[in-house]
Parts: sequence; structure tokens; C-alpha cells
Amino acid sequence: MIEYIDVYKAFDQPVLSGVSLTVETGETLSIVGPSGTGKSVLLKTTNGLLVPDRGDVRIDGHSVYGSDGGTLQQIRRKVGYVFQYAALFDSMNVFENVVTGLPDGEAKRARSPEVLRKVCDALEDVNLDPGLILWKVPSELSGGMRKRVGLARAIVGRPEILLYDEPVTGLDPVNTATISRLILEIRERTHVTSIVVTHDIEQALEISDRVALLSHGKLRFVGTPADFRASDDPVVRAFADRRAAAEAALQLVEREEDEETEEEP
Amino acid sequence: MKTLARRTVVGLLSRIGRTSETVARHAGELTFLAFRVAVATLTGRVALRDVLNQLQSIGVGSIPLVGVTAVLSGVVTSQQGGYQFTSSIPLYVLGSVVTSSVILELGPVMTAFVLIGRVGARITAELGTMKVSEQIDALHSLGRDPVAVLAAPRIIAGTIAMPLLVGLADFVGVFAGLVAARFSIGLGGESFLFGARLYWHSWDLLYSITKGFVFGFIIPLISVHMGFGTQGGAEGVGRATTSAVVFMIITVLVIDATFPPLFLN
Repeated sequence: MIEYIDVYKAFDQPVLSGVSLTVETGETLSIVGPSGTGKSVLLKTTNGLLVPDRGDVRIDGHSVYGSDGGTLQQIRRKVGYVFQYAALFDSMNVFENVVTGLPDGEAKRARSPEVLRKVCDALEDVNLDPGLILWKVPSELSGGMRKRVGLARAIVGRPEILLYDEPVTGLDPVNTATISRLILEIRERTHVTSIVVTHDIEQALEISDRVALLSHGKLRFVGTPADFRASDDPVVRAFADRRAAAEAALQLVEREEDEETEEEP
Repeated sequence: MKTLARRTVVGLLSRIGRTSETVARHAGELTFLAFRVAVATLTGRVALRDVLNQLQSIGVGSIPLVGVTAVLSGVVTSQQGGYQFTSSIPLYVLGSVVTSSVILELGPVMTAFVLIGRVGARITAELGTMKVSEQIDALHSLGRDPVAVLAAPRIIAGTIAMPLLVGLADFVGVFAGLVAARFSIGLGGESFLFGARLYWHSWDLLYSITKGFVFGFIIPLISVHMGFGTQGGAEGVGRATTSAVVFMIITVLVIDATFPPLFLN
């Protein structure tokens, strides 16, 4: 279980202003919201990549910020993180990248058949053919493949929690659907607790048990996809039906332009 | 007029204050980084393979450029010395001038400049790119310490390689000076070496190697520190690299200036 307790974070301006949220074990929760509203910042406080100014994050009852270095490392080992742009290590090939997702002891035995099997299994789990890509470097991979290698690196150590930071940003519809399906498959196979930060509302509603809407540094909505679709909140409505919202905004702009044209002599 | 003068003084003082704050902050952060590198090394968390890779890149890879720089330094010193000594001072003194100039000053400092340009800038750009592309965050999230994985191998390798490179530069520079003296002013090798031995202190070579040791530690330390502190995208990497090069050059020159009063009196 992951608990965010009254989390505050500011850079030049406040980003998170008292976020409290609980994610149950085995649950998939998506965090949606406008750009720059603190979704990724909240995700990065989960495993200490960013330290909150106030508040705490607890994983299975252990405080991420009240722990010593050793406990924090143990907590991080429980958590797999899928980065927005994969964050693969440029100087390493795919095999070496995925090996870094294993615990230290196993990573040091990188040449053993057992480790090779685990890496190949992780790549097959994300629908990649190890025979084709194992020895390639990240610059030789497409965007979708990089994301999937990043996902393989996150799952190879069999984490109990998976954090996805904008997993489909910049991908074409086919790759977007592939990643969404992978998230569902991994959840069903491993019962991992997942948090997905995304601005793709369709993906969020498809893959999540619950959806949280973050707006201006606060949680505006937390509920099931059905509740999200049925919500009367105008901000939630705008997200639930983005095409309608965009259409309404476009009509408003066109009306204003027409009015300005009529006023001209 | 008084107001203008007061504003100028206040502006100057605030500028001095800001600069002092920046210098103090960098000094503190560099000290802390050096401490963390020492802890990572002493606790056995630095992989020998990483150190050997960096030794190859920093040390062996720099040999050709260090060699060329040393040859040119020795030749220029010899030719200019020869030009000034002709018909005024016994020519064999040139052997002492070239040997002392190369060993006490040109060997360590020119090698340091080569290392700054060839290695320091590369380290900052490499780690800066890793920082802005979230690869450093990826290391954290995988439970690995970037100081042990990235910083320590580079700093250890620099500290080992630089004294050896300085020794090589000293030897090559003196030899090039000897050859240049023969061709430019007709000073024979035996006379050159006679002059060199006449004013030779056995401490000089240790002084030179000690400089190399200090420069070899400080150059990668600064470049790693600046790389880890990079913010922004490609522009941020460029800015950090430029700042790192300026920072390293000034630091090397300041340290170089403190050596004679500390060790040659």
C-alpha cells in the first residue's frame, strides 16, 4: 500500500499543495490533470527522487523520508519506475540496461545463464524479441521499443510497485495501445500495485481501477472510471470528454473573432 | 550624485556578496562530493571494471595529445631560451632552464589543460546529458548510487592517470627541448644534460608529480559536480560544460599559484 500524507512541494511556485492519497495493494491508479500541475512531481516523491517540502510518503507502512539510507534502498528495490522518455543508459546495450534492474548480487553475475534467462524473459514479457535487440544500443531503437525496454528494466527485478511516468507520450496509436495492453497484462500476471501518470484520459479510464485528477496542486477527484465519466464537476467533464471541450473552446474563439470582425467599420 | 555613488557601491557589494555565496556553495558541494566518493571507495562500492574503463579513456586516450603538447612546450621553451641566452649566458644553462620550466610548470599545467579540454568537458557534457534525460534519476530509482557508479570511477581514474601523464609530459618535454637545442643553437646533448644536472633538485620531480596528483583529482571532481548539477535541456548541458571548463581552468591556475610558496621555499 502506498500512502501520500499531506504532501507539499514547491519549486519557484507551489506545485503540490497538500496531496493525500492512498493506493491499495494490487490496485492500478491513474493520475491525470493539466500539464504542469504536479503529476510527475507527486510520482517522483514515491521513491525519493524528489523530496517533499512537507508531508510524507509511506510504502507498506514504512516512511520513505523517515528511513535511513539502507531502508530507502530496500524501498526503491520494491519499486519499478518507467520514465517518460525511457531514460535508458546510452552507453549500455539493451542487455546491460535491463540487467541494471536486477538486485546488485544478480547484476554482478551478468554473464550467468540464469541472468540472461531473466533478461530475455523480461524482454519477451514486453513483446520484444531478445534475439533481435539484446545487443543493440538505445540509439538504434525506435521510441516504442525504447519505452518497452524501459518497462522491461522496471519489471525484471519483479517489483511490488510499478510507477509509470507518461508511458505513452510521443507514441503513435498502435504503440499507445501496445503499452496499455502491457500494463494490463503485467498487472494481471504479477498483481503489482501501479500508479500511472498520464494525460491520455482514454488510456487512464481503460487500464485503471481508480482515477485521480490533480488540478492546481490539489486532488480534485478520486474515483472509479465509471464515477469519473458520470461526474458533474466541470473540470472532470472537460477531461472526460476532451473532444467536446476542445470543440466548445474552438467555437468560443470563432464567435469572439466574428464579433470583432462585425465591430470593425 | 550621492545617490548614484551609493547605488554603485551597493551594486558592487551585492555582486561581491553573490559571487562569494556562489564560490562558498560550490566549495561546500565539492567537499561533500569528495567525501561521498571517499565513502563509496572505502566501502567497496566502486566497481574495479568501471575504474579500468575510465583509466583507459582518461589515461591511455590522452597519451597522444599530452605527448604532442609536451613536445611543443619543450621545443618552444628551448628555442626561446636559446634566443635569449646567445652571447650573454653560457649555453649549457639552457638545459637547466628547459628542465626546470618543463618539470616545475609546463608539464603539469599543460597536461592539466589537455585533461580539462579532452576529459573534463566530456565528463560534464556526458553526466549533464544523463541528468537532463533522467538517466541519473533512473540510477537512483534502481537503488544504485550515482556517486559510486559514475563519479568515483572517473575521479579515481583521473587521480591515478594524471601523475603518470605528467611524468610522461616531463620526460617528453625535456627530451624535445634537448633535441630542439641541438638544432636551433647547436647545443650538444651532453652540455644540455650537464646544465640540467647543475641546478637539479631531486624534489622537483616529486613536486611535478604532486601537482599532477592534485590536478588529476580536482579536474574530474569539478567536471562531475558540474555535470550532476546540470539543469534544462541541451542549452543547459552547453552552459554547464562552458562553466565547468572556466571553473577548472581558474581552479588549476589558482592551485598552481599556491604551489611555489607552499613547496618551493
